[in-house]
Amino acid sequence: MLPEMAAAAIRTSKLTKDYGVGRGLFDLDLQVAGQEVFGYLGPNGSGKTTTIRLLMGMIHPTSGSAHVFGLDCIREAVEVKRKVGYLPGDVPQFGSLTGDEVVAYLGGMRGGVDRRRVQRIAERFDLDLSRRFREYSSGNKQKLAIVLAFMHRPDLLILDEPTSGLDPLNQQEFYALLRETRDDGATVFLSSHILSEVEHVCDRVGIIRDGRLVRVAQLDELRHIRVHRVEIEFAPGTDIPESEIRAAEGVQDMAVDGNRVTCSVHGSFAALLHAIRDASVTDLVSTEPSLEEIFLSYFSEPKTRLLTS
Amino acid sequence: MTAVRFAIRQGRWGLIGFAVAAFVFTLVQTAGFYQIAGHTPQERAALGRTMSALAAQLVVVFPPPIRPDTVGGYVQFRGFNSLAILFAVWALASATGFVRGDEEKGIVESALATGTSRLALVASRVAAFAIALAGASAAAGLGFIAGVASGHESVELVHVAEGCASLLALSLACYGIALLMAEVTAAGVATAAAGATLLALFFLNSLSRELSWLSTWRWLSPFRYYDLNQPLPPGGNFDAKAFLVLLGIGLVASAAAGVAFMRRDLGSSLMRLPTRRKPPSYAPSSNPAWRIPIARGLYERRLGVLAWAAGMAVLALFFAALTRTIVNVLLTIPTLLPYLSIFVHQQLYPAVLGYTWFNVAQLLFAAMAITNVARWAAEDVDGRLEMTLSAPVSRAAVVAERMAILIAVATIVAVVSGVTLFIASHAQGIDLNVARLGTASLMLVPFALVFAGAGALLASWNPRAAVGLLGAFAFASYLDTELGTIFKLPAWVQDLSAFKLFGTPLLGGVDGRSLALMLLLAAVGVGSSILVMQRRDVGA
Repeated sequence: MLPEMAAAAIRTSKLTKDYGVGRGLFDLDLQVAGQEVFGYLGPNGSGKTTTIRLLMGMIHPTSGSAHVFGLDCIREAVEVKRKVGYLPGDVPQFGSLTGDEVVAYLGGMRGGVDRRRVQRIAERFDLDLSRRFREYSSGNKQKLAIVLAFMHRPDLLILDEPTSGLDPLNQQEFYALLRETRDDGATVFLSSHILSEVEHVCDRVGIIRDGRLVRVAQLDELRHIRVHRVEIEFAPGTDIPESEIRAAEGVQDMAVDGNRVTCSVHGSFAALLHAIRDASVTDLVSTEPSLEEIFLSYFSEPKTRLLTS
Repeated sequence: MTAVRFAIRQGRWGLIGFAVAAFVFTLVQTAGFYQIAGHTPQERAALGRTMSALAAQLVVVFPPPIRPDTVGGYVQFRGFNSLAILFAVWALASATGFVRGDEEKGIVESALATGTSRLALVASRVAAFAIALAGASAAAGLGFIAGVASGHESVELVHVAEGCASLLALSLACYGIALLMAEVTAAGVATAAAGATLLALFFLNSLSRELSWLSTWRWLSPFRYYDLNQPLPPGGNFDAKAFLVLLGIGLVASAAAGVAFMRRDLGSSLMRLPTRRKPPSYAPSSNPAWRIPIARGLYERRLGVLAWAAGMAVLALFFAALTRTIVNVLLTIPTLLPYLSIFVHQQLYPAVLGYTWFNVAQLLFAAMAITNVARWAAEDVDGRLEMTLSAPVSRAAVVAERMAILIAVATIVAVVSGVTLFIASHAQGIDLNVARLGTASLMLVPFALVFAGAGALLASWNPRAAVGLLGAFAFASYLDTELGTIFKLPAWVQDLSAFKLFGTPLLGGVDGRSLALMLLLAAVGVGSSILVMQRRDVGA
């Protein structure tokens, strides 16, 4: 579903949390539509968890505002949380409580939790709820957090790196659960630094770096932010238009090896093709970037060269 | 050496806090002596008699004083003996914090991953705590020396050093015992088991002063060896053998803890009951208690509530049993007879029982409030509060439920201990006024609420510092009531102390104004806690 087709599940306006010395989240303008699965990508310390904790009303913004289904995340925090299932980045410590007690405790606080749904999710992930939390492995703790987030069929799921600690099989199970939940009409806001995760499940992706949102795009659109690796082979004896290629818009990291030129091209190919229009080209290979490469390209570049949305 | 430095770094606030508290406490006690002792031998002898009378009532807590008419005897009795208990609590918190707290946080695993052996890790923690103890004990000695200087007198430095060394040795022994208990018991009960062991050893010694059948066993208690060292008063003594025994207990218990640590798996206890294999269960608990506010909190800490209630009931039994003995001792002191004749004969026993029992009960209820605040602070730091707030509950509701649970726990413990005291005292032929005993016992609830209110505010404001600051508040509150009269503090300042506000309800009934003030202080604490909680960032 296109974002503009549904009312915003999440809307932030100039949302800022300034921890000082350049740390925090700055001027976040974001809109996530109902029934959308939104991936929130960024490296460690980029501001993903800060955004999520602001949406959950755990921390107060320095300025700006955040709304969930039109409700203010701070002033109407209780109403917001009726609609939200939350999976924190760090699973809290429940010490000697057993898994079933943790579920009953938080389910009791929330109210209206369907026991059969809890049982189905726990069975699906093979999570033995009779064991003490202290005895759980980190993967099992994460499974318990998944049960807690999904147990009440929330309208919005806010998930902070949800597959952390899960083995590949359980990751696949989680993606399936996420798709089913979306198909049932829920919205998902999922933070991650694993691109394959968002490739599996997301409709749109936001990329955050150093506390600033640098790009929001559909998954396909993101792939079209071209950071293509290009290899051009010129015919023997051809004068390689080296300076023209180097000067072409979007071309970077150019290297010449005999009659072969390699470079990366950001955005359109038009300028590069124009630069080599008079040369005799015997081969031209452009490698489609993976999402991983797009991501690395974003975060390995100097800040001044970042694209802005 | 790095491990020792790291351990000191981790416990730096404990070191600073206890060193400051020890310095202030001995300084204030010493300066207080000069405020009340007078200057003539007769005045000081009169003070000595009063202190002896007081000590007779507190014989189940402190050893009888030696020459309380002198600054050394007075400070040994009121200063260093109190610090011995305080340092034992520090040892308990520090040892169980290392064995279970650091292990649960993964700090122990990280340390072992560096190639440090388990024995070396335990040794580094013992060494770090010994260094911290040396600092805090020295601070206690310095406070005493500074106080004596303020009275234009002097003390033998060697006796001060002996007093500090005794404190250090006792605390080290308590640390070793707590370490050992925490190593051999399950994680969930480690602190309780270590605390119960130290408490049992403490009362084994202190009760043996009055109950002769216990005296054959008191050699088991490290507190017995501390009692043998009373070096500050003239004519006091430093028993080198007892000092070495204390050091030996500390070293042997720490070594045994190290061996136990080597033999057990991380995250497990040394001794584990065999468990039956059960088929996996995927359903949430069907216990209805989890769905009811307050009931869920009580159910979760049911073992703790049971332990508190049982412990207080046992103490009430002992205090009732001891009252006749204490009164008989008091009646044998001729100089005290005029003082005692103030009481109608039937009221003497209730007076002594009320004084001794409710003094100890106040301290324990303050400790109960502090342990609850520690739990609230931990919930914030370890992410549990964040998880709780992810449910549709307001922050105000969280604070309110916490306070309601504390009130429920305090009420249960107060009722159980009050009923036990009544039955036990009746069996001893001491007839207590039921209504007064009931109200006096229930007065412990608003008393605990004063500390809980202050603690709630501190936990909302800065959870990481809450326990330390509340401990300081409790300490200041205790000092306020102990020394307010001596230092002629304004009445309103003295009234801020919960200990003062509690009064003597068993004898004189409940003072409505004091009760109202206690409730007001608690309400201010809770109200401001809610306001602060609304404004702060969770987990920050």
